[in-house]
Amino acid sequence: MSGAVGRRGIMIGLVVLALAGCSNDPYPSADGNKKILYTSFSEAPKTLDPAVAYTTASHLITGNVYDTLLEYHFLKRPYQLIAALAERVPAPEPHADGGVSYRFQIRDGIAFQDDPCFALSQGAGRSRKVVAADFAFELARLADPAVNSPLAGSFAPVLGFSQFAERLTALRQADAAVANLPANVQYARAGGIAGVIAHGERELEIVLSEAKPQLLYFFAMPFTTPVPWEAVAYYDGRDGREHFADHPVGTGPYRLASYDKQYRMVLERNDAWYGRHALDAAPGSQFPGEIDAEDIASRAIDAGYAGRRLPFLERIVFVREREDIPRFNKFLQGYYDEGHIVKESFDAVVQNDSLSPQMAARGMRLDKTVEPSIFYIGFNMDDPVVGAAAGERGRKLRQAMSLVIDSKAYLELFLNARGVPAQSPLPPGLFGYDRDYRNPYRQPDLARAQKLMAEAGYRNGIDPANGAPLKLSFDTPNTTAQALLQYQFYVAAWRQLGLDVEINASTYNQFQAKVRRGAYQLFTWGWIADFPDPENFFFLLECSNAQSKSGGPNTANFCQPQFDRLYQEMKSLPNDAHRADLIRRMLALLEAERPWIELFHNEEYALSHAWVVNAKPMGLSYPTYKYMDVKPELRAQLQAEWNVPLRWPLYLALILMVAVTLPAVRTFYRERQ
Amino acid sequence: MAAYLIRRLGYGLMTVLGVLLLLFVLFFTVTDPDDIARKAVGERARPEVYAQWKKNHGYDRPLLVNRAYAASDRRRYTDTLLFDHYRRMLSFDFGNSDADDSSISRRLKEGMGPSLSLTVPLFVFGLVLGVLLALFVAFFRETYIDRAALVVCMLTMSIAGLLYIISGQYLIGMLLKWFPISGFAFEPWLAARFLALPLLVGIVSGMGADVRLYRTIFVEEINRDYVRTARAKGCGEARVMLAHVLRNALIPILTNIVITIPFLFTGALLLESFFGIPGLGSLTVEAIHGNDFSTLRTMVYLGALLFIAGQILTDISYALADPRVRLS
Repeated sequence: MSGAVGRRGIMIGLVVLALAGCSNDPYPSADGNKKILYTSFSEAPKTLDPAVAYTTASHLITGNVYDTLLEYHFLKRPYQLIAALAERVPAPEPHADGGVSYRFQIRDGIAFQDDPCFALSQGAGRSRKVVAADFAFELARLADPAVNSPLAGSFAPVLGFSQFAERLTALRQADAAVANLPANVQYARAGGIAGVIAHGERELEIVLSEAKPQLLYFFAMPFTTPVPWEAVAYYDGRDGREHFADHPVGTGPYRLASYDKQYRMVLERNDAWYGRHALDAAPGSQFPGEIDAEDIASRAIDAGYAGRRLPFLERIVFVREREDIPRFNKFLQGYYDEGHIVKESFDAVVQNDSLSPQMAARGMRLDKTVEPSIFYIGFNMDDPVVGAAAGERGRKLRQAMSLVIDSKAYLELFLNARGVPAQSPLPPGLFGYDRDYRNPYRQPDLARAQKLMAEAGYRNGIDPANGAPLKLSFDTPNTTAQALLQYQFYVAAWRQLGLDVEINASTYNQFQAKVRRGAYQLFTWGWIADFPDPENFFFLLECSNAQSKSGGPNTANFCQPQFDRLYQEMKSLPNDAHRADLIRRMLALLEAERPWIELFHNEEYALSHAWVVNAKPMGLSYPTYKYMDVKPELRAQLQAEWNVPLRWPLYLALILMVAVTLPAVRTFYRERQ
Repeated sequence: MAAYLIRRLGYGLMTVLGVLLLLFVLFFTVTDPDDIARKAVGERARPEVYAQWKKNHGYDRPLLVNRAYAASDRRRYTDTLLFDHYRRMLSFDFGNSDADDSSISRRLKEGMGPSLSLTVPLFVFGLVLGVLLALFVAFFRETYIDRAALVVCMLTMSIAGLLYIISGQYLIGMLLKWFPISGFAFEPWLAARFLALPLLVGIVSGMGADVRLYRTIFVEEINRDYVRTARAKGCGEARVMLAHVLRNALIPILTNIVITIPFLFTGALLLESFFGIPGLGSLTVEAIHGNDFSTLRTMVYLGALLFIAGQILTDISYALADPRVRLS
């Protein structure tokens, strides 16, 4: 008996000792004082090939490893392009035939990060200088059907872009051995893209067949980054080598040090980055000098960083967290430096539209950013009841239906008020957005809506054709219970007008099929801009993009000649007063015609800890890590304060276990004796 | 024994073929290649990009009959999605993921280690603890310990697995701060720190059902004549329970556990997903969310194979544990 008690004592002692050494810190203690940013990702990148990568998850890596000719100013709004690898933002050079050229002068002294792939061209060398041909190579990859870039269509205005793709395909079909040659050799054999010309090592000319100023925005995306042909040839997935899609070789401020997308990705500072060595003050290599007073007051930006060379972080560690709740809890413990709010904890974190006192007391920061997005309900303008064919009657019906949708109430009910009620398709931060503009048909007014219904001939929602409430169908691409509840909100609003709106929820593909057939009246949809230009929203309502005419993204099939004329003029203008005037006129047309009921612009709430500096989000899907910094000493101190293990419950549990078991054991043995 | 094994393997093969057919029908009923392409390439891509993706992944072929070939040409039936589906699965050529083009075989290899590092200790500790607790409860049968244990077992069985995970993370990771809430490390000593909490949660969540089942088995055995004989011969209680009762209760216990052994390889879906363990369970959950048909069908297929293997192993273990059982 005494032996058993002894063994039990040892076991309990071991458990107690084990727990005494326990800690919830998931990181090695040796890294505690380094300038490392710890953050998380939920979805694994599909690819890191810059010609293909199009998701936010991929962009975490490609946006840091690959530099671009241009980039967005970190702080200026409306968004403004600045020079990065280019010496300046090029001005358009119009041609007599209507075409336009852009000449990029490439900075001197830019080199690719060290990589074994350069043995293909440099012998023992592990890097080489970036030349204009590296940009041309990547643009050719965008056109290459085998690469299958989702952006290939956007580069169609580049002279000879699609013809190059056709020649390349023909070449491969004619001789199967061609496909096994290095990509740069194949592209050279296909003759290259006529509108992409490398003039020597440091000048790249892009010739467009028509004016398209928006194309410059694509030169701020990793799609157009310089890519060494050696990397594509070397990382072919054979003989134990990785695929290029998993092994980026770029020129950016960080290089990929570790990549296990199921588990963890690590970026290390690229000491060869041009910004760390450039003699001149390249705009993309130093912290902006003009800082908004509001950003300083709200601690979004530390003014002391103005003019300092980037980047500040030594390492960025992305840990895979598939679920929101553990990710948020680890953020609260201080083990992630930045985080997002989970809806279950929204009220604990945000109160009265700002941080709760509890969170503010921990030194946390909340940054709200309105995404360049629009969510809307559209009318099928080809429909005889709600569309253009119904004339004034249909217009008044649309206006009335727009007047009863209360976006603010919707946002409060379903999205914790995370969004800005939309007055027009244009979100804040874009040229043409007017914060004082109030769309007269987007201010909820039931009485006015009922009056419009009566004027439209649908008094109290009754269709005079059959004496019954006017029946409409509302098609949606989401069948989840939560989405249906949200759609019910709209239907209930229209019911106030006496309308009988039926929800037809279907899967995305079924919905797409309905759209293709034109079998819909009302639908709900959203759009997040690729680049911050009003053209990227208005094109969704341009006639040549109508779904029924060209299968384009104008799902409302809105065709209004005056709007189209204004659009054509507006899209190729610089951001000046004339352009602003055209935009105002376009918005006035949309206001009256109501092809859309603009619902809201999505708002992102980002949290960061007291030790994170310059955490202001960009809004666009661009990582801003090169501007961020951390204070590791403060982090270590607060983490230690917040994470002292509680051991007494363990001792209590052990005592309780013994207290419960002992009487039974004693009773049993007494009875047996 | 050999004839029995061959017969069982034959049945198993037929079941596998059936599972593969069902899998094919189910997948292409609820989804279509356009949907898979949209998920893989993104919703913003143009139709020609989807078409190219489908071509690159072989989804541009017809389901059952390829009418591009003449009736006499066997490619009419072999150059189809159905034939390719069977060919790939039966030859264990799982191909590449629809989501990110990575090799599925490589991801299986990479995920196996993390999965086993969770499921094997979970299985071993769960089994040992379950059997010991059940023996303990059976030993004190019809006392307040027995009654209280049964109530606790019923309670633990009634709670959803997800609740154990969330409350375990909150209680032990957040409030008590004993272990990291989630994460993983490939170094064994570091991995132990991350695995402690999911192990604890996994063991506790499964303990109720196991203890209740094993206790019933033990109580039944305790009331048998041979136990009374053993006691009459002067055996101590510990020897009676461990040497006699436990040995004779092995058959039903084996039924319960052997069938689960093969599933250790497919990982624990929820535990891995919530605790950030990059194993095969996480891979499956991700494939479900991402419409990754090729990965998902591989996991379902492997699950079916392992289930059949588990059944055959169970039958064999019967014979090994009890010489009275003959597989004829």
